[in-house]
Formats: sequence, C-alpha cells, structure tokens
Amino acid sequence: MLDVTKLLEEIKASPYQEMEITAPQTGEVTFGGLAVGDKVVGPSGEFREKPGTTVATLTRERNPRPIRATQKGTVMEIFSDLEGTFVETGTPLVRIRHYLSKDEVQSAILRKALHLFRAPERAKYYFTPEVDTKIRAGGLESVHVREGMEILIMSRMKREAPLHYAGPDGVIYAVYFSPSQNVDAGAPLIGVCPPDQVALIQDVVVRVQTEWSEQD
Amino acid sequence: MQEHKVLVANRGEIAMRIVQACRKLGLDFVCVYTHEDRHSGHVALARSLGGERAACRVSSYHDANELMAVADHAGATAVHPGYGFFAEDFRFARRATNRDRKLIFIGPSWRVIRELGDKINTKRLARSLGVPTVPGSDKPIYDELEAEDIAASLFAFQAEQGIKRPMVLVKASAGGGGMGIEEVLDPDMFRAVYRRVRNYSRRQFHDEGVLIEQRIEDFNHLEVQVVSDRSGKNPVHFGTRNCTVQSTGRQKRIEVAPGFAPSEIAYTFDAQKVLDDIIGHSLTLARKVGYDSVGTWEWIVTRQGEPYLMEVNTRIQVENGVSAAISRIRGKNGVDIIAEQIRTGLGEPLGYTQEDVTFEGVGIEYRIIAEAPEDRFAPWVGRIDEFRWRDEPWLALHTQIPTDVAYDIPTEYDPNLALAIIWGKDLSEAKARGRGFLDGLTLKGENRQGGMRSNIAFLGDRTERLLVF
Repeated sequence: MLDVTKLLEEIKASPYQEMEITAPQTGEVTFGGLAVGDKVVGPSGEFREKPGTTVATLTRERNPRPIRATQKGTVMEIFSDLEGTFVETGTPLVRIRHYLSKDEVQSAILRKALHLFRAPERAKYYFTPEVDTKIRAGGLESVHVREGMEILIMSRMKREAPLHYAGPDGVIYAVYFSPSQNVDAGAPLIGVCPPDQVALIQDVVVRVQTEWSEQD
Repeated sequence: MQEHKVLVANRGEIAMRIVQACRKLGLDFVCVYTHEDRHSGHVALARSLGGERAACRVSSYHDANELMAVADHAGATAVHPGYGFFAEDFRFARRATNRDRKLIFIGPSWRVIRELGDKINTKRLARSLGVPTVPGSDKPIYDELEAEDIAASLFAFQAEQGIKRPMVLVKASAGGGGMGIEEVLDPDMFRAVYRRVRNYSRRQFHDEGVLIEQRIEDFNHLEVQVVSDRSGKNPVHFGTRNCTVQSTGRQKRIEVAPGFAPSEIAYTFDAQKVLDDIIGHSLTLARKVGYDSVGTWEWIVTRQGEPYLMEVNTRIQVENGVSAAISRIRGKNGVDIIAEQIRTGLGEPLGYTQEDVTFEGVGIEYRIIAEAPEDRFAPWVGRIDEFRWRDEPWLALHTQIPTDVAYDIPTEYDPNLALAIIWGKDLSEAKARGRGFLDGLTLKGENRQGGMRSNIAFLGDRTERLLVF
C-alpha cells in the first residue's frame, strides 16, 4: 500500500530540483543583466501564454531569440565566459534551483500510485486516431483502457506499428509523452488508474493540495 | 578553383563522402551533427581532417536556421545538402542563394528543383515532351471524394486494358524513399487505405496530400545518372542502374550498374534499346529544363520492355558510387560523381563530353542495413559490437559506423550501416565477388531482445538472380 505521508515527507526534506538551461539552437549568446541570485519565473497564464523570464539571448542570422526560464527558481550559476561567443546546441547557459510546485509533487507521487504503461522501445508515440479523438472531446479520463486494446502508434525510423495496452483495466489519468518527441525504452507512456485505486488517487490529490505550500 | 568552404548539411556516410570529395578538391569544409549522432563516423572524420571546430552540434538537420547560422559562423561559401533533408527543397536552395550572405547551393538551381523536384510537375513536363509516364493523378489530392473518383477511373482503365489484377498505388505526396506507399487491390478497400496513408503523411511529413497511380506489377526499376554543369546545356549520362531489389516497403537494397546485361542474360525484349531509350528520354528532359547539376531519372520497365518515367531526383543519390565504379572519363578510372557535383556546382565547366565517358565492367552496390527482412524489414535498433570486412581492390565500403568501438544505432534515423560497392569485369565476376564479400563480412551486435538482425543473408540470396527479368 502506498504511504502518501512518507512520500510527502521525503519530498519535503529535499524540495528543490536543480536544472540547467541549455542552448536550444546555435547562435551568439548574451546574458543581459542576469545575475546569480536573481529570481526567475517560468511561463504562466491559462494557456501558458505569458513567457518566462529571459535568461539569455541567442542571435543567429541577426535575429535575436530570447531564451527563457521554463520554471520558477533562483539563478545559481551563469556560464558568463560564453558571453558574446557562438555556442553549439546543447551548451549549458544557466543553472537554476527550482522549488517543486504542487502539480510536480502530485505528479511524482501519482507515478507511484498509477499503473504505468511503459515504452517497449525508444520511439515516438501517438495515440491512435480513435483514442485521440476521444481525448480531445472528453478529456483523458474519458478513455477506458483494457488489456489488448490498440491504444498507441509506435513510430520509429518512419515505420509505424500499433501498440496494444497491457495492464489492468482503468482510465487514463496521466500522459507522459509528447507527440514527435522520442521516448526511451522503459519510460512511462501513460498512467492508468485502476478502479480499486481511485480512492488512493483522490487522497493523493487532496493531501498535496492541502499540505504542500508553494514558494513565492 | 576559387577558395571555398563547404557546409556539409547532412549526416552519416554521405557526409563522409562529401568531406572526402572536398579534400580531394582542396576545399575546406564544416560539418554539423545532432546529439544523437555524436558518435557517428562523420563527426570523427570531420574532426580528424578539419580540427575540433570542423563539426558543430545543431538541434536538427531539418532546421535551416541552424544550418545558416553555422555557415555564417564558419565562413562557409557553399552548402552541400547530400540526400534527404534539404536536398530537394527548392525553398532552402533559394534561401541559400538569395540571402545577404550568399551560399552556393551544390545542387540544381532552385528553379530546376521546383520544376523537377515535384513528382507531379515532372509528369506534366514529361508528357508534354512525349516521354511516357505512369497513369495517375497529376497533382496531390487532398479531397477524399476526388481521390475515390481517380481510383475508380484507374481501376476501370486497367480493366479496359485487360489487366487481370488491376491495382492502384496510394503514395504520400511529400514522401520519398519508398515511405508512405500502399497498394489497393480491392476498390472497396480504397477509402481505408487512403485514410491510412493520409494520416501517416500528416504525422510524418505534416502534409495530407496523396498521389494515386496505377500500380504496374512485374517491372524492373531503372535509373539514369545525369551530370551537368551550371550552363545546363551539355548534360552527360554516367550510365544506367537497376534498383529492382527492394524491401517490402519498396526501399532499394541492391543497385547494379549497368541496368541490364544483354551480353550475359537473355531478355524477352531488346534490353539495349530500352537502356538507350531511357537515356535518350532523360537527356531530352534534362536539356529542356537546363538541368545544371547531378540528378537521377527514375524509370520503371515492364516485362514487355515498355519504359515509364516515375520521377526525377534532383540530388546526389545513395547509389551514385555504383555508377562511378563502372565509368571512365577519357579512359581513366576513379570517377567521383560527388566531387563532380561539387566542382561543377562551384562553377567549373564539365570539361568533357559524352564521347569522353566510357563504361567498363559491372558494379553492384549492397546496402547493409540493421533490419529483419523476415519481419517485413522491420528496423533493428541496438548496439553494434563488431563490424569487419576484408579490404579488396575491387571493393569500396562507405560507413559511418566506427570499427574500433561499440556503436549504438540512433533511433532517430534509418538504420543504414554501410554501402559496399563491388566491381567485376562482367556480371558473373561481380556476383562472385559480391557473394565472397558478404560471406566474409563480420557484423555482430545485440539489444534487449537478443542478437543483431541484418539484411546480409537477404542480399546474398538476391545476388544470384541480379538483372534477370
């Protein structure tokens, strides 16, 4: 049986996550007035339409592109020796310490409570057109999955193959992949809530909402 | 030749061959690579020949902005797109040549790519010149009812022609390399297949257009290798190739040059005339459009010896090396079609005519691929632990797989491991050498499911009947 209290205490003991912001493309990098210790925020708004804090600017073909924080946090390190230089894709630019949000804590605990249907191979995954239509119309929890159901399309090297669900019956509660992004073998694709776990899941949600306080 | 620096906008073995061609011509170069390709041989080769800064990591080979940024940073004056990616994208070619910091696009001019790169335009142009093409739609179809009408008329047409098994081919218009193609034998199944190909095309190519053609059965797939300089006036051919040995997904696995061997095999039609005809038609079309680079005219030839033009590939092709292996310029061996493409692309005249090009022997190219032919050629992904072969004077092997360390095949790209080009004085000798090469090849690896899968046995099986029709 999942011990929600213990899991919450463990996360409270280490509530930070350190993350590196890397260059998503090539270009000449500048850091503007960013300083160690500055507070930054990630995108916000109902549709995440408000961009996060600019931590650097990459210029290529004379077009500057702001590189923004993806999470709320504090700047721990700026790789300022790169100022004004041309950087390759993937070069670390800034390191941020991020305090976990309620959603992140909830997601971390739910990963232990839900049945995780995992990727059999490193590949890109898509819901089948039927399942996709259902999710768009009625949300994730409108999809009841059962053993053997054709639920996903596995796409690798432009070859596609159907992927059948294996595991207990239930509804889809979480999706861990994005279309057109590769998923490593063994990584979770979806989290399924079996009927006998509904009470536990609801408990996790209530406990996190009431017991976890977010930092300003 | 003026000093130039070439951006190699591709990966794997073709990037390596472009780098080698640049070195042969005394040109500087810069390569790009992605995180997934960091262990590829093209990165190691670029660094060993050009230093640490000769390979720049980018987010994607598909990102034109990345390529332009690297070109500007490295001071490149030209870009070679290889095959795939931007090779047949006229917008990319136009952008490279029209921007402030101009780059020479090593390929046809963008107008030629636009005219011939599109399968449909090519068909229209070919028909206007009396060049035979496969019956079917002459524009991408986006409407289901229109698609059904075309399919119905193609089934009816074939029935009128007395074809016993009328069949229609549904192809993703934006596809290529044999991807996104399905056959329809039963008219009642057309709608389901159409929708499947359309959905596949949307996921893979972000375009829903499909082509609908008559499926011609029992044919050989031939090609004509054309080379021209920037004048576009004097194209020459470097012979024909036969690419009939393909996977179930219609992807080439063995190419043979020349396309038929009438001196060694009996055909039910005049094979030499067919080869001469497709060369003639290809050069006619090349002259008509002022073709100004390296390109391939793809043909299907029926059992009755009727040729139909399928498409023109306005780029260097994987199999260019097998044509080079049998070609001689003024009697000299060692033709390098990639170097010819770069040299003429940078503005040098061709410097020879068709009379200077002769042919000797037979070439066979094997595409060595990690895949399971017995499982519909499903790609195999895993770690390659050992890859060895014996060097021979008649063998050229191109691979990006390191032979000194283990190598994980990236899932982001096709699992093509190597190209082996074998030369023999005739078909019999080339086949014998090919079988010997395959028998002596060592290729070992594993993944979580077990041992490595490859198409080596399939290539060996198909060698016996090469060029037999």
